[in-house]
Amino acid sequence: MGIGATHIDHIVISSNDSGTVAQAFADNLGIEIKRKMIRPGTSAQLAFAKLQEVVLEFAGPPQVKPGEEVKAKLWGMVLAVEDIDAAVAHLRELGYPVSDPRPAVQPGARIATVKDGTSGVPFAVIQYNAIPADGS
Amino acid sequence: MKATRIDHVGIVVKDIDAALATYARNFGFAADSRRGGDLPALGIKNAFMPVGGSDLEFIQAISSEGPVAQFASDRGEGAFMLSLEVEDLDAAVEHLRSAGARVGNSNNGVAFVSMKSTHGVNLQLVQRKPN
Repeated sequence: MGIGATHIDHIVISSNDSGTVAQAFADNLGIEIKRKMIRPGTSAQLAFAKLQEVVLEFAGPPQVKPGEEVKAKLWGMVLAVEDIDAAVAHLRELGYPVSDPRPAVQPGARIATVKDGTSGVPFAVIQYNAIPADGS
Repeated sequence: MKATRIDHVGIVVKDIDAALATYARNFGFAADSRRGGDLPALGIKNAFMPVGGSDLEFIQAISSEGPVAQFASDRGEGAFMLSLEVEDLDAAVEHLRSAGARVGNSNNGVAFVSMKSTHGVNLQLVQRKPN
């Protein structure tokens, strides 16, 4: 019995300038940045690339401080699961602090954050096609 | 030069056996017993757990020297390294060097890019298929 993970869905690279870091990955590693957006609520600047089934997410603050050295780090990951409610219930039963599933940035998806107990890796689970198109 | 796939994510842990047990019992992942083990030359031991088309690599320092021991000392446990698959490792190394990046020599299908050239992200390039 596990969380029903099918694959690593997202890997997050956090920095103080997500645009510069994403561009460096694009220029030097041939990774195509397919989408940029501002996260609703936090205004975090996000950029996304996809390598086969895994999304590389570059996350940074709303504003870049001029002249500041750009610093990035591998931050955390999101695992795709078949049933997010079952995964959250399973983890809570084991004592993990897990947020309630909420709508994700990705249309139709729900995401929940595992807040501790993952070997120091910030960790979330996501289920796609979890919200019907009519929102019900 | 083009990265084609996330090969694995390296996670530094204090106790690799405990981490494997936790991820197996609680998350339902299975370690790949064909890979991993002690790598004294690197001062680490490691183990792999496939998750879909990529792997989680758990890494424990077995020496007080080296980047893994340094990471463990500075940050404890956490996401340590991103490994990207490329089609032609030697070409990728050459491309990055010509762009001014500091990259180690390829060895056994693997090359490491200096964190100074990645804004701080610990990056490994790997070639899985022979040319």
